[in-house]
Amino acid sequence: MSVVLIADVISLRGHCGLEDVEPLLKIIQEEPQRVLDLSQTSHLHASLVQILLVFKVALTGHPGDEFLRTWLVPALQSGRELERS
Amino acid sequence: MDELLEQFLIEAPELVQQASDDLLALEDDPVNALRVDSAFRAVHTLKGSVALFDFAPMARALHAAESLLDDVRAGRLADYRPAIGALLECIGACDQWVKSIAAIGSLPIDAETEARRLTNALTSLSRSGAAADVPSLATNWASSVFSRDEVINATEGGRAITAIRYAPNPDCFFQGDDPLAWVRRIPELVALRIDGLRPWATESFDPYSCNLLIYALSTAPAADIRELFRMVGDQAVIVDATSSDEARPAASDAGDTVASRILRVDSGQIDALVDLVGEMIVAKNGIAHLAAQMGAVTPQLARQLATKQAEMDRLVGDMHRALMNVRMVPLARTFRRLPRLIRDLALKLGKDVVFEMRGEDVEADKAIVDGLFDPLLHVLRNAVDHGIELPETRQRSGKPPNGRVLLEAERRRDQILISVVDDGGGINVARIRQAAKAAGEVNGEIDALDDAAAIDLIFSPGLSTASAVTEISGRGVGMDVARTAIEALGGRITISNAAEGGAVARIALPQAVVMTTVMTVAVGEEHFGVPIDAVEETVRVPTARIKQIRTGSAFVLRDRTIPFVRLCDLLKLPNAVHLGDDAKVLITSVGEQSVGVEVSGFAERIDVLLRPMSGLLAGMPGMLGTALLGDGRVLVVLDLPELLA
Repeated sequence: MSVVLIADVISLRGHCGLEDVEPLLKIIQEEPQRVLDLSQTSHLHASLVQILLVFKVALTGHPGDEFLRTWLVPALQSGRELERS
Repeated sequence: MDELLEQFLIEAPELVQQASDDLLALEDDPVNALRVDSAFRAVHTLKGSVALFDFAPMARALHAAESLLDDVRAGRLADYRPAIGALLECIGACDQWVKSIAAIGSLPIDAETEARRLTNALTSLSRSGAAADVPSLATNWASSVFSRDEVINATEGGRAITAIRYAPNPDCFFQGDDPLAWVRRIPELVALRIDGLRPWATESFDPYSCNLLIYALSTAPAADIRELFRMVGDQAVIVDATSSDEARPAASDAGDTVASRILRVDSGQIDALVDLVGEMIVAKNGIAHLAAQMGAVTPQLARQLATKQAEMDRLVGDMHRALMNVRMVPLARTFRRLPRLIRDLALKLGKDVVFEMRGEDVEADKAIVDGLFDPLLHVLRNAVDHGIELPETRQRSGKPPNGRVLLEAERRRDQILISVVDDGGGINVARIRQAAKAAGEVNGEIDALDDAAAIDLIFSPGLSTASAVTEISGRGVGMDVARTAIEALGGRITISNAAEGGAVARIALPQAVVMTTVMTVAVGEEHFGVPIDAVEETVRVPTARIKQIRTGSAFVLRDRTIPFVRLCDLLKLPNAVHLGDDAKVLITSVGEQSVGVEVSGFAERIDVLLRPMSGLLAGMPGMLGTALLGDGRVLVVLDLPELLA
């Protein structure tokens, strides 16, 4: 739906699809240290998940969506744990 | 070291231990389903951890062990005993391998051959051997992706489990596909992994090409999920994983609930805290020092400071005790490693030994529990090797063919008392005397010893290394090593013959590492500490009463003649002691004999945390350790009995 940047926090709002790939990629490539807030996200397209994985974007916020909260965020984070070790 | 490997090295010994415990219990009670399950879980988890590293031979052996255990569990075997034996052997090898990994980071060079031998032995016993070697695809990837806990959680209540491996086409985004939308719709999702199919490169990353690999577990029937993925069926593998080992429900384990309340802390952190408290004790002693100095200037303030110091003294003491309690661990930590070793040894010697343990829950300081292993193993080895007779011999003398060895621990006040009792032939005192004479001891002296003292010769190093002893029925192989180790822990060990036959080894150990009260003494300009319990009394002896007797000196104290030595001579220090009218003498005892040690001055008594000598100084005789003083000096604490020996 929309990619919003507030200070150094990127917020993905609503149902985010393929059209959000360009803006998200641009914001992340500008400043890779930016944090992504998922609290207002209702769905993430697989292409966006792929960006989060590739650039190892730090996540914040408790997604209201159950699938994101219970499965996606932990899956993104566990991948990162493995890489570090 | 790699974090993952570090974790493995913490976990693996515990799993090996668990499997070993369970298998030993199964030897006596092969139908104990809980034990079979527990052993299976331990082996399975260990196999899973091993798979994370490049320890292929170990993984293969464990895989074979797992299959065999599965047969045991399913009741497919006619005779359990050979299987349990082979499994114990495999676990024994794993124990060695884990040690090797800890020491050198890899398996020992013979691991490959050893693993092949073990695997063959295990598979030949296994009914489903052939099938087990070719695990289904489902077992392979599902078990490598998902952790055991996830699978156990998923299968709670005995539900079926479906594994999904979904690698969307690279151009799927262009076709309007959102792989995550499919995943979101998986019913009864219980686990999810998302990863890259091929490694990603940040520079050449194409956000519109899908390179995802998604794994999921669900408890919904495979058919339902196939229906859901019908549109992308060519990109997803969906299998019923229930048939694989992972899907088995785990038996409930009471230990789990206990574990969740326990905080796991690296013992190094506790040791760091102990060190910090040690520094605090030093600081506290420093304040006492300060208060004393202040007394001359402002007595009022000095008294107040002294009161505060006393309060701190108490608090720091409490803190130290509390911390020491944290270090308390049950003896089980050491004890549970023993049964397998005893079993192996008995097997090797062709003896039948029933090994029993009691009091594993008695607690002691970690250092003591850990340090106990080697000497205890020595004592037990001797009991099995030299104490317990061969089955035929036992039967001839009217005993049951299987020998008994009982290891028992109990706490008595601040001490841990451990006894090792066997019902073997006992110690042949006459042969010990013979061996001692053969080892060059003076005949007359040996004959003069009573039986208890003669048995005690077992602990003398000269005797134990004499090859004659190892061939006779007497014990004594390396028992001096056991005694040295026990004494280093602040304990004592004795051995005697039991009235009812057999032998008893008794070990007494302190329960905790404690603060030592030392008296500081001066030799010229230098100060040393002497543990207060080594000091019988301090006296002033007029120099005129110290008499030369041949090469030595002595004086008479309350009708006893007491040898007189000078600390500066013992320490090979320059003769700095000025002999005034009176000599300052510290009376200590070496065995039964009191000895007077001359010093140039006595100073205060202080409580110190004794640190053992380490590094280059570790081997220095006559030194107990060092302690840091209130004014920052390091005090060397002397081991007077050793200096005088």
